[in-house]
Amino acid sequence: MVDTAAFVMMDPAGLKAIGAGLAVGLTGLASGIAEKDIGTAAIGAMAEKEELFGKGLILTVIPETIVIFGLVVALLIK
Amino acid sequence: MLAPKAMCKVTILGHKDVLENTIEAIHTINNVHIQEFIEADGYCKIGKPLAGAADHSKKLVKLRSMMNFFGIKKSAPTKTSHVDTLESELDERLDKLDSEVTQITAEKSALEAEIISLTQIVSELTPISNIPLDLGLYHGYEFISVLVGRVGRHTEAEISTTLNAVTRDFEIFMDNGVIALFVKNELVGACAEKLAGFGFEEIQIPSLEGNPKDIIDSSSKRINVINHELVAHNADIESMKAQYIDFVLASEEMLSIDIQKAEAPLYFATTEHTFTIEGWVPENEYHDVENAVAKATNNRAYVIMDKVGKKDGNKVPVEYNNPKITQPLQEILNLYARPRYFEIDPTSIIFITFPLFYGMILGDIGYAMILLGLVFGLKKLIKSEAAKPLLNVLMYCQISTLIFGVLYGEFLGFPLASLHEEPGLIPGFATINLFSGLAGEMVTFPVHRTHLIMTLMVFTALIGVIHINLGYLLGFINESRKHGTTAAIFEKGSWFAIEIAIVLIVLGALGTIPLSIGVVAFVIAFVMLVKGEGIRGPIELPALLSNSLSYTRILAVGLSSIYIASTVNLIAFKMLMPEKFGVLSIVAIIVFIAGHTLNTVLSIIAPGLHSLRLQYVEFFTKFYEGGGKKYNPFGYKRIYTEE
Repeated sequence: MVDTAAFVMMDPAGLKAIGAGLAVGLTGLASGIAEKDIGTAAIGAMAEKEELFGKGLILTVIPETIVIFGLVVALLIK
Repeated sequence: MLAPKAMCKVTILGHKDVLENTIEAIHTINNVHIQEFIEADGYCKIGKPLAGAADHSKKLVKLRSMMNFFGIKKSAPTKTSHVDTLESELDERLDKLDSEVTQITAEKSALEAEIISLTQIVSELTPISNIPLDLGLYHGYEFISVLVGRVGRHTEAEISTTLNAVTRDFEIFMDNGVIALFVKNELVGACAEKLAGFGFEEIQIPSLEGNPKDIIDSSSKRINVINHELVAHNADIESMKAQYIDFVLASEEMLSIDIQKAEAPLYFATTEHTFTIEGWVPENEYHDVENAVAKATNNRAYVIMDKVGKKDGNKVPVEYNNPKITQPLQEILNLYARPRYFEIDPTSIIFITFPLFYGMILGDIGYAMILLGLVFGLKKLIKSEAAKPLLNVLMYCQISTLIFGVLYGEFLGFPLASLHEEPGLIPGFATINLFSGLAGEMVTFPVHRTHLIMTLMVFTALIGVIHINLGYLLGFINESRKHGTTAAIFEKGSWFAIEIAIVLIVLGALGTIPLSIGVVAFVIAFVMLVKGEGIRGPIELPALLSNSLSYTRILAVGLSSIYIASTVNLIAFKMLMPEKFGVLSIVAIIVFIAGHTLNTVLSIIAPGLHSLRLQYVEFFTKFYEGGGKKYNPFGYKRIYTEE
């Protein structure tokens, strides 16, 4: 019974905010982790051949979709 | 506008007698992109360089080493030299310059070597300078050995006592931790062992005569004198540089051109008596080539024109053909890849979409003004040709930002119009309700982005759908040019079919039409996709969704910029700014300026990169291949010389 009472006391708006924050924060981290490896490789390739900038940029930003999804989810939670 | 400059293939045939004249002619008109001949087992061989190439190369190497020596950089010319006069006096002046430079470098390096040896002597003599012995006394003995070295912080008495254990026949001179020990030859080993206990480090004494102090003094004086001489030499070199810079630059250019011409036959196909030049010329300039060659060779060389065919594929060099206003965007295209000859050149499209997305993201009158001012300032300051296109692109982006800034009614993060109870920057300017948007939001003028999140999110995703479909449409055109209409229908048209099917399914789910229609349409579209794109098609299907959602960044990045700006405003004006002017007011102003400076920098990077990404990743991947060869005509733009 005590548990239920504690549950009720939590503000739904606050929980939503936490959820939204988690959605953006965690997906941001995920994008970052994914992009760091591609980014380093892309820069390495560019150092060898400068024309690869365009392709390198594309490959690097592919995981960025993850954080965009997170952002969309966060906005939907709101 | 959407295609590169039309090219045609040109073939020049002639007898080797007129080879030189032909090269001269096409070099002068500077519009033939020469196609390199690749020697196979056939009848033709790669041509040999014209006479004089080796000699020119030798001189050029000499000149470039001079440029290196003087530190001459290619800069705007102060005067141009005439080729004929330059040629007649080249050998003489080059030899003269060469001997002058050789002499001055020899003198300079002799002086520098002397400085090095003097500095070494000084550093070797400094430790023993206070020991009252002439240098001659350190060497030249038959029965006595001399040990000179450092012993650290030990006294003469300590060392003497220790050495007494070996012998009493020795003499020590000591000063400031440096010891000179004179002892019989046979005892030197034992003494050295004892000295090792004091941390003895031997010093080499140069075999000179005289008082060390005097030698140090005279050496230092000599070093000073040499340094002065070196300064004088450097001044001489500078004056030589000033005297010869025009000559060096002009003759470097002349020789580069001569070598370029002399080595041109390396790209040609030749037989024993004839030569063939293959190349590409802009279609409208073909007659210039024909006339120039005819005139130069007295009609003894044949010039043949061919239309560019599909089989020429990627061999055709690509020259942009855009109106001046859209040309700066070519840089953005070059950063990705130059279009291929048969491909659509999307410069004119990204001329609209790139600044459009940039403006939609930033959309702030204040930042637009600041950055416009910055662009005009930089344009005045920076004269380099390389920076110009980028500054122009930035300018286009700011114009778009200004327009969207008015639409959004934002100035440095402050809303211009009042909304509900919140006051705006302009008194009496209230927000007008236009029509209701999604999720109970109201679309207003000016658009308050922070209050229209759901509506704008869907709106930006829709913009994405339009942009992506434009990409598929261009892809359809490219594909039908390359592989025919049928291939294009399966490869790119299938994407349209998929989209239509999705719409039908949605309508079916809503009950407007039977669901089965949508499902059948989807199956047909899916089969088309698999046939057109292969296994890649189904894998890329979800990209349709993720790509469209990717455009919501237009809203997201924009919101982050607003929130940074309004947070700065909040800290500066609501939290720090006191009622009366005081110290805190200055802090508030500093926070305001620093915060907005930071956000201005971010305002170039964030919207720029995201807008660029939308072009490169979401748009270009639908149609653009790139990788065309740059049109690089055989010729030279003379800067320092004239004919």
